Amino acid sequence: MSALVLDNVSLVRSGRDVLTGIDARFDAGRLTVVIGPNGAGKSSMLDIASGLLQPSGGRVLLDDQPLARLSRRDLARRRAYLPQRATVDWPISVERVVALGLTPTLPAFRDVPASFGPAIDAALEACDLLALRDRPATSLSGGELARAMLARAIVGDPEMLIVDEPTAGLDPRHAIDAVRRLRARADAGRTVIVAIHDLQLALRYADAIVALKDGHLLAHGPVAQVASAATLSELYDVEVRLSCDESGITVAFRE
Amino acid sequence: MRRMLIPGLTILLLVAALLSLLAGTFWLSPAEALESFTGGRESLSALIIGDIRLPRTLLAVMIGAILGLNGAALQGLLRNPLAEPGLLGVSAGASLGAVVAIYYGFTASFSLAAPVFGLVGGFVTAGLGLLLARGGGTLSLILAGTAVTSMAAAGVSLALNLAPNPFAAYEITNWLMGSLADRSWDHVRLAAPFVIVGATLLLVSGRALDALALGEVQAESLGIAVGRTRLLILTGTALGVGAATAVAGAIGFVGLIAPHLVRPLVGHRPARTLVPAALAGAILTTLADVATRLLSVNGTNISLGVFISLIGAPFFLWLVLHVRRRTA
Amino acid sequence: MTGGRLLAVVTLLVQLMLAGCAARPAPAARFSERPIRVMSMNQCTDQLALALLPPERIVSVSWLARDPTGSVMAKAARNIAINHALAEEVVRQNPDLILVGAFTNPATRAALDRLGYPMMEVADPQDFEGIRAITRQVAKAVDEQARGEELIAAMDRRLAQLARDRRPLIRVAAWDSAGFAAQPNSLYETVLKTAGAVNVTNAPPFVTTVGRPDVEALLHAAPRLIVRGVGRNEKPGLHDNVDRHPLVRRYWDGGRTIAIPPVYYVCGTPFAAEAAWQLRQQLRAAEVQARKPLPFAQGGR
Repeated sequence: MSALVLDNVSLVRSGRDVLTGIDARFDAGRLTVVIGPNGAGKSSMLDIASGLLQPSGGRVLLDDQPLARLSRRDLARRRAYLPQRATVDWPISVERVVALGLTPTLPAFRDVPASFGPAIDAALEACDLLALRDRPATSLSGGELARAMLARAIVGDPEMLIVDEPTAGLDPRHAIDAVRRLRARADAGRTVIVAIHDLQLALRYADAIVALKDGHLLAHGPVAQVASAATLSELYDVEVRLSCDESGITVAFRE
Repeated sequence: MRRMLIPGLTILLLVAALLSLLAGTFWLSPAEALESFTGGRESLSALIIGDIRLPRTLLAVMIGAILGLNGAALQGLLRNPLAEPGLLGVSAGASLGAVVAIYYGFTASFSLAAPVFGLVGGFVTAGLGLLLARGGGTLSLILAGTAVTSMAAAGVSLALNLAPNPFAAYEITNWLMGSLADRSWDHVRLAAPFVIVGATLLLVSGRALDALALGEVQAESLGIAVGRTRLLILTGTALGVGAATAVAGAIGFVGLIAPHLVRPLVGHRPARTLVPAALAGAILTTLADVATRLLSVNGTNISLGVFISLIGAPFFLWLVLHVRRRTA
Repeated sequence: MTGGRLLAVVTLLVQLMLAGCAARPAPAARFSERPIRVMSMNQCTDQLALALLPPERIVSVSWLARDPTGSVMAKAARNIAINHALAEEVVRQNPDLILVGAFTNPATRAALDRLGYPMMEVADPQDFEGIRAITRQVAKAVDEQARGEELIAAMDRRLAQLARDRRPLIRVAAWDSAGFAAQPNSLYETVLKTAGAVNVTNAPPFVTTVGRPDVEALLHAAPRLIVRGVGRNEKPGLHDNVDRHPLVRRYWDGGRTIAIPPVYYVCGTPFAAEAAWQLRQQLRAAEVQARKPLPFAQGGR
């Protein structure tokens, strides 16, 4: 069981408080979504959780061990991170892009050994990319690229997966597809942390919610506890109405 | 096919180098060339091959290789197909350093002055560029490079303006055209150590360059120290390109073109591009140097840098159109 | 060359036009009252002026006139004011005649034309016939014809003396202090030929007619001696690539190199014959030391 804990984390950037006194816990086997309005500090929190950014105060613990004490390479092996709208700059084949996810496990100065072949195949298959494996990554559609990036993130089977806005720029079908794949990772026992704007998808697929507003923690807990119309209305400063049907929760906003 | 790339390029380079030993104002036949090794040490062909064409060929190979390698590394680092050593101001800085060394008499006091000043100039501009771009991304590094390039160019003009030698203006113009004419073993000995160290620094960054294809954040998340990689590559650039510029003057376009020639052949992977780009750069420079010896207009030979620019500029145009089409 | 000639014609036309409407009295008008005073703006006209005129009749010479490696009259120039070829200096010094060279800054000349100062452009002769012509031209303008003829006669005596020596020409490679090969039909070539040398850099195997000799061609041509110009304090530059090339140092340094100051070949004045005479002495002395052919020379040169 690996859990990531933020303990009284704060972040100050050019004199401005970006995050203040954040306490949060992300458990293994659970999909935790981070929600909140633009500029609430979601991306900063994800950066801190993934160890890419040092907090100004507080601690980040992975399995009761300070994250900062892990070596760059060990950390890279244990958690994968996908930024918003991740792209590839060269027309590299999808297969090679996925293989880049193995970078922290490669021996120095050697190409990807043949023994990694099955892992790459498995990641390609998990993301329905087998038919696209030789296509240049720059020629992929938005949905295909998102899948390729996810395959890149999971190819090394990291215990923790942190994803910033996986549905940004995707049509509904691809957005649902993307979140389902993240759900599958959580079901496989990994810790999954996702910042997301699409409330409907968040509430349907997540186990837990971290709600951020102006750098403060507004609410934190299982979806059933946090997802109330009142909390969400306060979070977004618009009136939110929730309704339930057989396909799950539906979110509506009133102007 | 891909496995044959490096051996194939190596064979091409050897052929080009051989041609470079035989070609010139006087063509030597292979028999004469062979004779130069067996015949007297002071025979005409032995002197021409041993003391003029061999160092010149080695310099062409060395300089072309470091420029090609550098272009590949910088394009990978900046994730920009138009990046080249000149972009970051290293060549301009090296030019300024060398100009100061040559025209204010430091070369007379110690023979290493030109390359050392060239290196210092390259280092200063690279450092200044890094400092200006600190915290910013690729774009700010490119902008900072443009800024330091203009500063170094202004410095060259000032050095010229105040130069004690009335022919300085003519000479510096000539020197900025880039040439390998009449270089000797002294120049090889001066440049080689810096070029080798610079090339090593660039080659060890291969893994990082591959990861950087995903952007700096993802590379960082994959355990790559992006800041250190940037420092490594800029140091390698300052060392290698600084030394090359100090010895041969400004030779543009090789660093831009060479990576593009080989990139499709290695599946566009940044790390795999490095060695073939170095070989392609070496072939390009060696052949261009041979061409400049044979081509003359009204009795004046075309300078190496000018010749390469004449080929390079249309290629650059094509590249811009091509990139525009791809990103449109 | 045609550009220079065109410029000269234009200058002359402008001068003629201005002469009619000049506010200042024409020099000839004042000439009757006192001898005209001359200002020289060019290193070569400096030397002519200094050779033709007593010091009190020279207002100023160019700042280059005091450099002994570029001017035979450097010593005489030390007692004379100097100028930097600027129009404001002319206004301050108010000469009766200004001597300018073909390369004097056109902007300065135009300004002086506008102000109505009489100017004489003196050509840059590349042979002895041209030297005679400009010496007579300047001597006439400053009314020192007798002194002019004296200078020409001295030059011709030296030339006759040089012509009596009929030993074979010595093969040399010659370049100036900036590393440029002596050009065909240049004064440098004239001086070399008169001194008894033939410059190999103007014939095949050298391909460059303008520019610097290359080391490969130098090895092929294998000249017996190298003649190179050396300025007052040798400035480093690109020419070092040839001058300091290890092969050039190995085979030509020491006895096989004759270093001459630019004064030998820069200005076409009657002293060029003297320069040729000096060079001949140096060539003959060096030739004795360099008897042994170079190891790579073809055909026992």
